[in-house]
Amino acid sequence: MAEPNQTGSLQVRNVSKLFGTFKAVNDISLDIRKGEFLTLLGPSGSGKTTLLMMIAGFLDISEGDIALDEASIANVPAEKRNFGMVFQGYALFPHMTVRDNIGYALSVRKRPAAEITARVDEMLELVQLQEFADRKPAQLSGGQQQRVALARALCFAPPVLLLDEPLGALDKKLRVEVQEQLKDIHRRVGTTFIYVTHDQEEALSMSDRIVIMRDGAIEQVGTPKELYERPINQFTAGFLGKSNFIQHNGKTFALRPEKIDLRASASHPDARLSGTVRSVTYFGSMQRVIVDASDGTEIEVDIDVWRNSETLREGDAVDLLWTDDAAVELQMG
Amino acid sequence: MTSGLFSKFNRVGAWVLLLFLVTPALIAIPVSLTPKRFLSMPKGEFSLRHFEKLFTSEEWLSSFFQSGVIAVSTSALATVLGTLCAIGLWRVSSRYSELVRAFLLLPLIIPQIISAMAFYRLWIPLGLLDSYAGLILAHTILAAPMVLITVSASLATFDPKLEQASKNLGASNWTTMRRVILPSIKPGVFAGALFAFILSWDEIVVTLFISKFSVYTLPRRMWNGIRENTDPTVAAAAVVLIAITVIAFVITSIMSRRSAKSQAQ
Ligand SMILES: Nc1ncnc2c1ncn2[C@@H]1O[C@H](COP(=O)(O)OP(=O)(O)O)[C@@H](O)[C@H]1O
Ligand SMILES: [Mg+2]
Repeated sequence: MAEPNQTGSLQVRNVSKLFGTFKAVNDISLDIRKGEFLTLLGPSGSGKTTLLMMIAGFLDISEGDIALDEASIANVPAEKRNFGMVFQGYALFPHMTVRDNIGYALSVRKRPAAEITARVDEMLELVQLQEFADRKPAQLSGGQQQRVALARALCFAPPVLLLDEPLGALDKKLRVEVQEQLKDIHRRVGTTFIYVTHDQEEALSMSDRIVIMRDGAIEQVGTPKELYERPINQFTAGFLGKSNFIQHNGKTFALRPEKIDLRASASHPDARLSGTVRSVTYFGSMQRVIVDASDGTEIEVDIDVWRNSETLREGDAVDLLWTDDAAVELQMG
Repeated sequence: MTSGLFSKFNRVGAWVLLLFLVTPALIAIPVSLTPKRFLSMPKGEFSLRHFEKLFTSEEWLSSFFQSGVIAVSTSALATVLGTLCAIGLWRVSSRYSELVRAFLLLPLIIPQIISAMAFYRLWIPLGLLDSYAGLILAHTILAAPMVLITVSASLATFDPKLEQASKNLGASNWTTMRRVILPSIKPGVFAGALFAFILSWDEIVVTLFISKFSVYTLPRRMWNGIRENTDPTVAAAAVVLIAITVIAFVITSIMSRRSAKSQAQ
C-alpha cells in the first residue's frame, strides 16, 4: 500500500479566524501527531470547517500560525500544501471517469502514464472499486462516490488527509459500514487523518483522539475513553454520550445513565437518592428509565434488560445507587 | 374544467404566436422558388433558377464567403473574450464586479443605430472603415456580452468546491481552468459562440455604416438587392441565410447535449 510518510505532524498555534468582527475560530492550539486519527467534534457552527479550511489553505489565518513538521505553512498556497481532502458532498469532477478522478493529482504533477495507471489500480483496489474504473461519478451510489473521493485524496500519498463530514450524506446503516472501511484504510496507509463530524458516535468509534469544539474554541481534548470517562464540564459530558448532573455540597458531578443501579425496594441502606419511576422505554439491548428523584431532579437510568428481568412500572418507588468513582466532578461552565 | 380550457387556450395561443413569429421568415421559401423575374409568389410552377443564379454569381458567392469569415472570426473572438470576462467576474465576485458586469452589458442595451454611429466615428481615425478587421471588431464588441451572459449562467450552477478540490490536488489556476472549469461550463460557451455567430451573420445596421466597397456582407447585398431591383435571388439568399443559421443552431445543440450527457453518464 501507500509508502509510510516521513512527515505528517501538524502544529496549530493560537489560531483565530475573524469574519468581520465575528470570531469563527478563537485562539486554538493543537498538536496533531503523525499518523493519528484526530476528530474535530462539535455542534454545527462551532468552527470545525473553518479550522479545516485554514489547514487546507482555502482560508487565510487571521491570527496565529499553522506548521507542518514544525515548518510554518501559513504562506503556502493550497495547491502547494500537498494535503489530501475529502470534501463535504465529495466534489468529484463530473466530466471525468472514476479513473481520471483518482489519477488527477498525479496527472497534474506530470507523472508518467504507466506510473499513474499502476497507482490508480492500487487505489481502486484499496477502496474496492476495480469494476467501476470507467464509470462517471453520476453512475455511482453515494457510498461508492465517497470511496472515489477518498481514493482521489490518498492517491498522491499526502502526509495529511482532511475529511469534512465525509459520511454526512450516507444513511445510518451504510455509515457504520463505511466507518469500518475508513478505519481500516487509515491503519493501512498510515496517513494523519483530521476528521470533522458532529456525530458523537462516529467520533467515539473511529478516533485516536477527539477535540471537542464549541463557539470556535476547544472545550476538551483526549482519547474517546478519557473524554467519556472524565469529562471536565457539562458541555463535554452532555455532548459526548448522555449524562445526569448531580449537585452535591455546592459541586456538580456528571453521572452516566448506565452507571446507576436501580432497586425496586424502597429505603435501601446504601441508597444515594430515592424517587418514583416516571417512564420506562424499551430499546432492546437496554431500557431507559426516567426517575423523578425526591430532591426534585430528574435522573435518567439505563438498565440492562437481560440481567434485570423484573418489570418496572410507572409510579414504582425506587432507590438509586452508584459507586464513588461513577460520579465525575466537573468544572464550572 | 376552466383550468383545462385555459391550458388548451394557452397551447393554441402559443402555436398561433409561434406561427406569427416565423411566417415572415418562411415567406422567403416559396418566393425563392418563383419562376418569374421579380419578387412574387409562385402560382403552380416552381423553379430553382434563382438558387442557380445565387450559386453561380461571383458577387453573391463572395458575399457568402465574407459573411462566413466575419461571423466565424467574431464568434471565436467574442467567445474567448466573453468567457474570460465571465470567469474573471465570477472569481472576484463583489459589489464592484456587478457594476463592471452591468457596464460590460451596455453594448446589448444601447440602440444599435447609436453603436453604429459610434463605430463609424471611431473607425475613421483608426483606419478600420470598410475592412474585415473593422467589421470583426465591431461585431465582437456587440457579441461578447451575449457570451458573457450565457457563460455566467453556466458558472452560476458550477460548484465552487470543484475548484477547491482541483487546487487541493495540486493543480495550478491555469490547469484548474482548463481541466475542471471549462469542461463544466461548456454548454454556456457553446451557446454563447452560437449567439455570437448568428448576431454577426445577419447584422446589418452597423455593417451599413462601416462597410462600403471592399467588404460586402450577405445581409448588405440583400439590402441593396431589395432596394435597387426586385430580383428574387434575394429570397434565395434569405433561404440559405436561414438554413445556415438553423444548421449552426442544430450543431451547437448536439454538441452541448453531448457534453451534458458525458457528465450524466
Ligand atoms: N465566509 C464566512 N463569512 C462569515 N461567517 C462565516 C463564514 N464561514 C463560516 N462563518 C461562520 O463561522 C461559524 C463557524 O462556521 P463553520 O466553521 O462552518 O462551522 P461548522 O463546520 O462547525 O458547522 C458559523 O457561525 C458560520 O456562520
Ligand atoms: Mg461544517
